[in-house]
Amino acid sequence: MKKYLTLLSAILIITSCDIVEGPYLTDEAINPVDTATNSYMKKVLVEDFTGHLCPNCPDAARELDAIHDIYGEQIIGMAIHVSKSFARPYPASQAPSFQYDFRTQWGDNWDNFYGISEMGLPRGMINRIGYPDNHKLSKDEWATEVSNELNKEVDFGIDINTTINSITISSNVLNNVNGYYNLVVCLTESNIINWQKDGQENVENYIHNHVLKTVLIDEGLSSTTNYIAGQTIETLINYDLATLEQYNIDYSTNNTAELGNGNAGDWNASNMSVIAYIYNTNTKEILQVEESHLNN
Amino acid sequence: MKKIASLLMVFGASFSGFSQELNTGEIHGDFDLNLQSYQEDELIGATAANEVILNNAYLNLNYIKGNFATGLRYESYLNALADYDSEFKGNGIPYKYATYSVDGLEVTVGNYYEQLGSGLIFRSYEEKGLGIDNAMDGVRLKYSPTQGTYLKTFIGKSRTHFTYSDGIFRGADLEINTNELLSSENKIKTILGGSFISRYQERSNLIFKIPQNVSAYAGRLNLMYGSWNYYGEYAYKINDPSNVLSASKMNYARGNAITQNITFSKRGFGVSAEIHRTDNMTFKSDRDKDGKAYLINYIPTLSKPHAYSLLALYPCATQADGEFGMQFDVFYKMKKGTFLGGKYGTKLAFNYSRINGLNGGNSFLNDNTEHSPMLISIENEELYFQDINLEINKKINKKIKANFVIANQTYNKDFLEGHVKGDYGVLNSTILIADISFKIKKGHSLRMELQMLNSKQLEDYSAHVGSYENGLEEPAEGDWGMGLLEYTISPHWFFTVQDMYNYGNEITEKQLHYLNITAGFIKGANRFEIGYGKKREGIFCVGGVCKLVPSSNGFNLSISSSF
Repeated sequence: MKKYLTLLSAILIITSCDIVEGPYLTDEAINPVDTATNSYMKKVLVEDFTGHLCPNCPDAARELDAIHDIYGEQIIGMAIHVSKSFARPYPASQAPSFQYDFRTQWGDNWDNFYGISEMGLPRGMINRIGYPDNHKLSKDEWATEVSNELNKEVDFGIDINTTINSITISSNVLNNVNGYYNLVVCLTESNIINWQKDGQENVENYIHNHVLKTVLIDEGLSSTTNYIAGQTIETLINYDLATLEQYNIDYSTNNTAELGNGNAGDWNASNMSVIAYIYNTNTKEILQVEESHLNN
Repeated sequence: MKKIASLLMVFGASFSGFSQELNTGEIHGDFDLNLQSYQEDELIGATAANEVILNNAYLNLNYIKGNFATGLRYESYLNALADYDSEFKGNGIPYKYATYSVDGLEVTVGNYYEQLGSGLIFRSYEEKGLGIDNAMDGVRLKYSPTQGTYLKTFIGKSRTHFTYSDGIFRGADLEINTNELLSSENKIKTILGGSFISRYQERSNLIFKIPQNVSAYAGRLNLMYGSWNYYGEYAYKINDPSNVLSASKMNYARGNAITQNITFSKRGFGVSAEIHRTDNMTFKSDRDKDGKAYLINYIPTLSKPHAYSLLALYPCATQADGEFGMQFDVFYKMKKGTFLGGKYGTKLAFNYSRINGLNGGNSFLNDNTEHSPMLISIENEELYFQDINLEINKKINKKIKANFVIANQTYNKDFLEGHVKGDYGVLNSTILIADISFKIKKGHSLRMELQMLNSKQLEDYSAHVGSYENGLEEPAEGDWGMGLLEYTISPHWFFTVQDMYNYGNEITEKQLHYLNITAGFIKGANRFEIGYGKKREGIFCVGGVCKLVPSSNGFNLSISSSF
């Protein structure tokens, strides 16, 4: 009998466990980003699929903030409100709560294509890594994936210049690359004070940040598949905020967005940003992303 | 059949030493197919499937010869039924195993299911109804060195859909049956058990210390004396924080669970009392993933599992993160020939269960916050679920049998379904059920169920912003009625018509009928069933583990067969 107990204890010792004692913060220094060798840093897009009716979603927004606090401007967030269950506005009879329709045609299209909200929210994509099977990441997986992405080499550098009615994107090729790449340019808005379900509460003055508002282009970066280091591709986009805003209002009014109410306007140009990214059209991987304030 | 046999021979041949004698031995199998069509039905919120029909099918094959067994399961999801995780997609043989035992040692390689104790720290199992299959893939050894001692150890990874999750599990369990060990005739039978499990998952975090080996322990005691039976188990899990960067979400608290059960039963009478408490005991096969597919432990439910539709309309999901619950059961059979027992006797079953939250929530520990809930707190805590029910089963005469249930259930819909407080509130339902079977003539019988559920809202949210009853944000489903007729021509045929009617829905357009018609044919080892109907969106639970079933409208076909 004794020897079997000894055997059992031996197994238990071999598979010992890691009890962590506080303080739980590590004292390891975070390596600063090496910017000396290259003028462009690798940046990562965190697409946070969310909805103002999703009580667990603010936890994901807070995780995104925490990731941003650590990596700074290398992290670019985008909150995409999607689906009828998580993001429909409440009927007018329930005013003033949850009357805004944050949904956009592009957000809903991405949601359908990538199959995100059907798995339950919050959920997100980190540079759309893992498509087609492992791209729908729960918020607890984001930090690990972000850190993997940041270790990758930078193949493109993006510069954004904006005026009151145009945006110029300069895509600089840093290494020779081959493949089909698209450039996407979107507008997001921050500091939107509106309703949000948060845990067990309905929060009236929730601050919605980097909410996707519109996609200006999603088209081939150039007609070539061979990109040579040193090359720069300029893309000029003319825009008119009022037209774009009306487009979202129509999307919500015409019931294209299920149970929409047309309440998708009131954009505040001074809180808007341009996000531009380049992705591989086969793997869907986002190779580089950049964000700049919209000088409107 | 020949093909199957040769397939198994190929599989078995890799385990040399056994292959020569394959011509003897036995092959058994079973097959199961579930096909469903999905049509759009805006009123009930059902969406059409792009594929029009969805199908799940399985085939189990097992070859057994003496102390050796091998087998596999072929699974096909083209594509998976709407109430399954969408990751179940395609075909494959995700389950295959070989096992033999010799001189007290049992060796299993490949896939296996395993449970330590009652599952508090580890349970690998399959439940098709829930779409759960977290089978292990690895090696398991069981050894009984002496009579009355049972040792098992295993190592493996746990299945999630068609792949295996990150964590590597190492487990061990020792069970000692003292009466067998000491060859004792003692009237008190004692079974002692201890178990251990450890998950390894490589993780690094920029700012927080993350344990890579997370272990859990449990000890259990089972005492049997005459009509008495006691079972108690205590489980403990070390710190298992998520790998996130939000400081406020990092939780380094230990987890624990305790369950205590005592039963007395003799002919015609039984009582049972049970309590359990869980705190921070969610254990997953991958710490960063969410979803039931990643759960690797199991907290036995503390509420009575109900089969009648309206009794199971609002089922209780066990909260591994934290709950305190109690349950009492009394069974009594009134004897034949007594005043209340009548000519054939009457069976009574009373059940009470109540589950509430822990004081201030589950244990929490990080650099800024520390909280440990009180060990026992009931009265002022948030009520999750309560069920008081009485079932009376009576044979009235040679042709008529009846079963009546009266129940009162309280269901904290906001909490149990993860809504904001004040969305749906806390539902209180009074449910009446009559289930009567008539034997018409030899081989022909008719069964009728009549059920009604009367629902009311317990919480008052009148100060709230919502525009529905009591100030709630979402409309109430309200009262339900249900009727069922089932005609059986044994041994081959059965026909069922069932209607659930939500006549109390707060939105008039949603006062709908959910009609289901089913016909079935059974012959020998084959069973065919075809049906058409509408399903309400709802929660379906088995043993306290639940899934969301979307509403649907369509035909279904199910075939099962075995040999």
